[in-house]
Amino acid sequence: MPRIELINVSKKWGKFVGVDNLNMVINDREFITLLGPSGCGKTTTLRMIAGLETPTSGKIIIGDTVVYDSDKGINVSPAKRDVGFLFQNYALWPHMTVYKNIAFGLENLKWKKKDIDARVTEVMKTLRIEEFKDRYPAELSGGQQQRVAIARTLAPKPKVLFMDEPLSNLDAKLRGEMRTELKRLHNDTNSTFVYVTHDQLEAMTLATRICLINKGVLQQYDKPLIVYSRPANLFVADFVGNPTMNFIPAEAKRISKDTLSLRLFDIEAIFKADKDIELPNKSIIIGVRPEFLPINKDGKIEGLAYSTLPSGMETTVKINLHGDILSAVQFGLIDYPIDSKIRFDIVGNGIIVFDTKSGESLGVGSLTIKK
Amino acid sequence: MEQTKEKKIPKISFLKIWNLTKTFFSKPSNVILVFFAILLTLTVIYPLISLILDSFKVQSISEAKEINELWETSVKKGDFTWAQWPNLLFNKQNSDYSLNFFWDPLYKSILMALLACLIAVLGGGILAWFITRSNIPFKKYISTVFIFPYIMPSWSIAMFWENFFKNTTIASCNYQMGMLQAMTGICVPENLLYGLLPCAFVLGIHYAPFAYILIGGILRNMDANLEEAATILKASRFKIIRRITIPIVAPALISTILLVFASSISSYTVPAFLNANNSFTSISIAMRGLLMTAGKKGQGYVVAVILLTFSVLILTINNWFTKSRRNFTTVSGKSGQITKVKIGGTQTWVKWLVCIIICLIVTFFAVFPLVTFILESLEENSGDITTLTLRYWLSSESFDVRITAQGQSAEGIFHNYTIWKAFGRSVVVATLVALIAGTFGILIGYAVSKNRHGKLSSYVSSTAFLPYLIPALSFGAIFFSLSFTSGFKFLNVSTTNNEWSAVAICVLAGGIKFLPFASRSGTNAMLQLSGEIEEAAIINGCPWWKRMTRIMFPIQKSSFISCYLLPFISCMRELTLFVLITSSFSLITNVLQYFDTYGLNQISNGINLLIVLFVIIVNLLVNKLTGASIDKGIGG
Repeated sequence: MPRIELINVSKKWGKFVGVDNLNMVINDREFITLLGPSGCGKTTTLRMIAGLETPTSGKIIIGDTVVYDSDKGINVSPAKRDVGFLFQNYALWPHMTVYKNIAFGLENLKWKKKDIDARVTEVMKTLRIEEFKDRYPAELSGGQQQRVAIARTLAPKPKVLFMDEPLSNLDAKLRGEMRTELKRLHNDTNSTFVYVTHDQLEAMTLATRICLINKGVLQQYDKPLIVYSRPANLFVADFVGNPTMNFIPAEAKRISKDTLSLRLFDIEAIFKADKDIELPNKSIIIGVRPEFLPINKDGKIEGLAYSTLPSGMETTVKINLHGDILSAVQFGLIDYPIDSKIRFDIVGNGIIVFDTKSGESLGVGSLTIKK
Repeated sequence: MEQTKEKKIPKISFLKIWNLTKTFFSKPSNVILVFFAILLTLTVIYPLISLILDSFKVQSISEAKEINELWETSVKKGDFTWAQWPNLLFNKQNSDYSLNFFWDPLYKSILMALLACLIAVLGGGILAWFITRSNIPFKKYISTVFIFPYIMPSWSIAMFWENFFKNTTIASCNYQMGMLQAMTGICVPENLLYGLLPCAFVLGIHYAPFAYILIGGILRNMDANLEEAATILKASRFKIIRRITIPIVAPALISTILLVFASSISSYTVPAFLNANNSFTSISIAMRGLLMTAGKKGQGYVVAVILLTFSVLILTINNWFTKSRRNFTTVSGKSGQITKVKIGGTQTWVKWLVCIIICLIVTFFAVFPLVTFILESLEENSGDITTLTLRYWLSSESFDVRITAQGQSAEGIFHNYTIWKAFGRSVVVATLVALIAGTFGILIGYAVSKNRHGKLSSYVSSTAFLPYLIPALSFGAIFFSLSFTSGFKFLNVSTTNNEWSAVAICVLAGGIKFLPFASRSGTNAMLQLSGEIEEAAIINGCPWWKRMTRIMFPIQKSSFISCYLLPFISCMRELTLFVLITSSFSLITNVLQYFDTYGLNQISNGINLLIVLFVIIVNLLVNKLTGASIDKGIGG
């Protein structure tokens, strides 16, 4: 069963480093998303695993075979890596009908005509594109082309499926539908999925594990909820979640193994971590998810309503706290006049403390504000 | 229901039409379209129709006599007649006549054109693949130098062919020694020096860069993911080329083949140069012969019409292919990340070997012609390096009294006023033609891009491309007959005896003949500009001419300058188009031919060198200074 392993993989173009010394293991039947801002090296990583791009150095193992090893000069061609690849722009062949597009890969495997026909019909049924069988790609809509591309990739039953931002060319509604479908497909096909996206919501909803990359360097590789609740550093905390996490600068003093006394603006507070905590510098940043900032009349902190953004089910309230803008999320429709006074609290046990200098997470815990 | 419908039909009032017309003409693009629709109808469609009519007209008294004898009719000069067609195609009196003057030349020309196509498309296509899809080194050198044979006049390659392959065993070249024999002692048989095969080779070499530009353009724009998708699905390298790459570039390939075929079949100068003892009569040579013979002019027009039909057919097929439903879907992807094929894999010597072979071939056809022109202009006895002399360049004495007797100069090239005056006139013609064709092309491109699916704009864009497909000789013939029309006689150099008449008519003919690629690349450049760019300026109240000169032109500067570059170069090296409407001394190409007929081989080779160097230097200079290039001029 295929397990993919990347060992010290780097890719350089001249002086520019695309991917820097990446190490990761993708287990069988996982749904991994490579997440990061555009230009961070996630597509390059995917293309290197698929064999479309040659790494500068390192080692890549798929299943039991070493497919790339810079030291031993091994570089297995993409055709022999037994993988499927779904391109962002679908890359459907414009001169072949839908049927021929899907059948092409099976022909290359020297399948019998009867078997090809059966398999093509089967995948077309799964993806509900039987009616377009004899059409050319130019005669299909974006969503239909997308389905054909998936069908073409799935037809040879690859054990590993790579997807490069496959939903980014679709409209919002279709994107939502296809996400649901992809998750089901992952379950039905029993394959390993590796999925590139810059959309953190897509990564959160689809993946079994998220691999967050920035500027070619791996930031965090964890389950979605861990990435969300225990981000490894400021970059991850900022990238994942919408509205983004609030960052409040503070000064800290360690008062016991797991407790810090904090001062943020003119507020004194006690931070109690769920584990022992180290404090390399006294300057820290407190990270608070918007859902941990409940607004209520008796709140201990006072700010001004900067702007209110109701979206129906919930409302994002932007609060001006001594010039810093914080985001809070409230359930339901609320509206505050601009610059009216608002009182709120910091609650929950998912408050994160980061070291200002390194940006690394120091610990997670709860915050108690002293009156 | 029907009654109410009838009532609702509005009365067409004068005011309404006037308002509609006003709205229509308030858009500059519509004004341009109407202007060019009229201009191109007059300069392209009308002459075409008159050419067709001429093939049904008795052209001279001797022609009338022949027709009357054969068909027992009593037609006079200027009467309508069908007789020209059967007389040429199925002459009942003498069936050999039809064979010799039409069917055989046609057959040979088609064969020659097909062979030229094959060479051009294979050569250009393979090179395009290497440049865009592989990792061979020296790509920049190869692609720069490879364009040279297209920049050079096609007949200069023919001259090179002759210079290179002539040898002391062949009578038709006066037993002169060529470069190949001088270097290796190898003597090629005559049918490799003159006739169908060398003509096809020369045309193939001349048009290979053209094929390279068109095919390379498509390969460069083709989404690399299409090929990668096939790689992932386990298709072999060869299968990918066969099943994916070739079918996708097929429309471009077919249109390249058709364009090369169209220009090869009607090429006049190459068969004229490589045709010793009339051993190889191409259809263009046959046509010129007929047009120049007093009693056969009408039949010449018949040939012209038939060649024209070929061209229109080609244009139609081309349009049909590019409009098929499998056409290119242009979804832009991450095509930047093309993985180049590693030639020979880890064994780098294979890559270098391929590179060296390509460099050698390319250099041979680009640089060697220049070397032979230099040598031929310096050797007293052709092929004999021991007889080097500079006198054909420097001498101030006349080489031929017959030339001096005609009031022309026969001195060494640097002292020869006939040559330099003609050279000056050529530059003037080329500059004016470039200005006209380039500006018209850009304006047509603008108007067509603003009304992409309109009937008028598709009429204008196809009419503007039509001159490319009209054989240069027939095109010249059209203007030739124009210059005999009263009111236009000031354009006829043989009656005015003023070379500037020739310049004027050449500018007219060239401006139209070289419009096709200017309008095509102008349209491409305009289509690349999104409409919002101009609309943003309209909102700001910027007048039309200012939008063009201050916004559109600067953005697409290099593409637009390319619209001027290609007509300039084409015009500078043109002979066929101008041969009927000029005197022997009007343009530099005329003078070249003139010295060639007087056997002053050294001087004609020297002139050739001048033209080729001038054209190449202009091209490289414009390329360096403005970024404009022949590639963009072709619209590839």
